[in-house]
Amino acid sequence: MHLRFRLILPLAAAMTVIMAYPLVFSAWISFHDYRLTRLQDVRFRGVENYAFILSDAPFGRALVNTMTFVAGAVSIELVLGLGLALLLQRLVRFQNFARAVLLAPMFITPIAVGLMFRFLLNSELGVIPYYLATIGVEIAWFDERLALFSLMLIDAWQWTPFMLLMFLAGLEALPKDPFEAARVDGASAWITFWNLTLPLLRPVILVALIIRALDAFKVFEYVWAITRGGPGDATETILFHIYKTGFRFFRLGEAAAMAYVLIGILMFLVIVLYTAMRRR
Amino acid sequence: MTAPTQDGLLSRRRLTLVAIEFVVALAIAIVLFPFLWIFLASIKPPELVTEPNVWMFPPTAANWHDVLLESDVPKNIINSFVVSVATVIIALVTGCPAAYSFSRFKTGSGTRFSVLAAEMMPPAILILPLFLVLFRLGLIDTLAAVVLAHLTFVVPVVTWFLIGFFDEIPRELEEQAMIDGYTQFQAFYKVILPVVRPGLAAAAVFGFVLSWNDMFYALILTGGESRTLPVAIAGFWTFRGIDMGKMAVAILVAVVPILIISFFIQKHLVRSLGGGAVKF
Repeated sequence: MHLRFRLILPLAAAMTVIMAYPLVFSAWISFHDYRLTRLQDVRFRGVENYAFILSDAPFGRALVNTMTFVAGAVSIELVLGLGLALLLQRLVRFQNFARAVLLAPMFITPIAVGLMFRFLLNSELGVIPYYLATIGVEIAWFDERLALFSLMLIDAWQWTPFMLLMFLAGLEALPKDPFEAARVDGASAWITFWNLTLPLLRPVILVALIIRALDAFKVFEYVWAITRGGPGDATETILFHIYKTGFRFFRLGEAAAMAYVLIGILMFLVIVLYTAMRRR
Repeated sequence: MTAPTQDGLLSRRRLTLVAIEFVVALAIAIVLFPFLWIFLASIKPPELVTEPNVWMFPPTAANWHDVLLESDVPKNIINSFVVSVATVIIALVTGCPAAYSFSRFKTGSGTRFSVLAAEMMPPAILILPLFLVLFRLGLIDTLAAVVLAHLTFVVPVVTWFLIGFFDEIPRELEEQAMIDGYTQFQAFYKVILPVVRPGLAAAAVFGFVLSWNDMFYALILTGGESRTLPVAIAGFWTFRGIDMGKMAVAILVAVVPILIISFFIQKHLVRSLGGGAVKF
C-alpha cells in the first residue's frame, strides 16, 4: 500500500469507530421505535419518526428559535468582528495587548460564560440591571420576549473574537499593492473599504460565516445554564430539544430523526451560503 | 475650497486615532468586566454577594478555601485534566500522520474538506449511538467514555490544524533527506516532525482547550465520581439553589489556566486557522 494511505490509516480507523459507525447506527435508530426504557422491545417504524417530528409543533418551534438565534448572533458577530479587526489594524499602541484581551472569550468554557451572564444580568442579583435602573432603564433580560435576544448577545460576547481572529488573519494576508494604489489615487477610507477590502475579504468572510453558523446551531450551554428552554418555550433550541427528547423522555428514535433533519438543514444551509457568496 | 493645512490634517488624523483607541478600550472593558465581577464575587463575604452595588468590602478567602480544599472540585479538575490529555494524545497520534499525507500527497481538497465537515457534525447525532454503545460496554460514568466522545471533535480539529503547518514546510527538506538515503517515512519521522514541533504543541494546546471546555458530552456520559469540571460548575446553580461565591471560584479555576495557555497559541491560531481558511 502506498505510504499516503498507510499514513491515513490510523485516522481512518479512528473516524470509522467514532464517526461513521455512530452515524450509521443513528440512521438505523431513526427508523425504529427505540426507547431507553424499552430496549428489549425495539420496533421498526419506517419513516414514522420523521413524519411525526415534521408535524410536531415543539420541534418546529425549536427549529425557528435556533434559526433566529443563529441568524441574529452570527450577524452581530460578523459586523462587530469585522469592525474591531479594522480598528485593531489601525491601532498604533497596545496592538498586541488589545488583540490578546479581545480574543480571550473564545477560549473559555461556554457553561462558565452562561453562568457569568446569568449572574450579571439577573434582575435581582445582577450588576448590569442595577446600574441600568439607576439611569431609568428597566430591562428584564430573561423574560419571554427578550430571553432569546439576550442569549444572542451572550453568544456575541463569546464568539465575536472568533470572527475577529479570522478577519485579522484575512486582513494580514491581503495584497498591499491595491491599497497603495487606492491611497495614491486619493480614495476615501469608505470607498477603499467597500471596493477593495470587502471584496478581497469575501472568501474569509464566507468561511468564517459557515464555521460560526454551524457552530451556533449547536448552542446548548447558555440555554442549559440560564433558561433551560424557557420561559415557556422561548429559548428551546434544537440541541436542547434533542437532548430532552433523548435523555429526559428516552425517545431515542425521535431524537435520532431530529438529528438527521438537523443535518439536512445544515447541509442545505452550507450549500446556499456557498453558492450565494461564490456567485457575486 | 482651500486645501486643508498640514496642521488640520495632522490633528484630524490624531482625532481618528483617539476615537479608535476609545472604541477598542470600550471593547476591552466589555470583555474584562465579567471576569472582574466574578472575581469580586469569589472574595465577597457571603452576605454581600447578592448585592449588585457593593465594590468595597473586607475580602474573604472562605470560598476559595471551601472549593479548593473541601469540595469535589479538585477531583473534577483531575478528571478534566486526564480526559483532555488522553484525548489530545490520541488525536495527535492519529491526526499527525494523516495531516502529513493530506499536505504532501495532495490527497485532494475533498478529503481536507471532509475533515472540516467531521468537526462540524452536530453532537446531537453522535451522542445517541455513542451513549448506547458505551452503555452496552458498561462504560457510562467513566472517563474513557468522555475521551471517546471528545475524540469526535478534537481529532478533526487537530488534523485540520496540522495540515496547515505541514503545508508551510518546504518540500526540499524531505527531498534532501531522501537523497541522503532516508525513506519518505523516515524523512517524515526524523526530519519533518522535529521541524513542525511548535505546530504540534499549538495543536495540542488547542485540542486540550476544546476537550477541557466541553460540557454537552460530559453532562450525558458522566456522573458522580467521573464528573468533569464544566459539569461540576453547572451544578452550583440549580433549582435547589445557588452558591454564588463558590460558583465564582469554580468558574475562575476552569477559566484562568485556559486563558493563560491560550495566550501562547494565539499567534499560531491567527496563522493556521485563518491562513488555512484564506487558501481554502
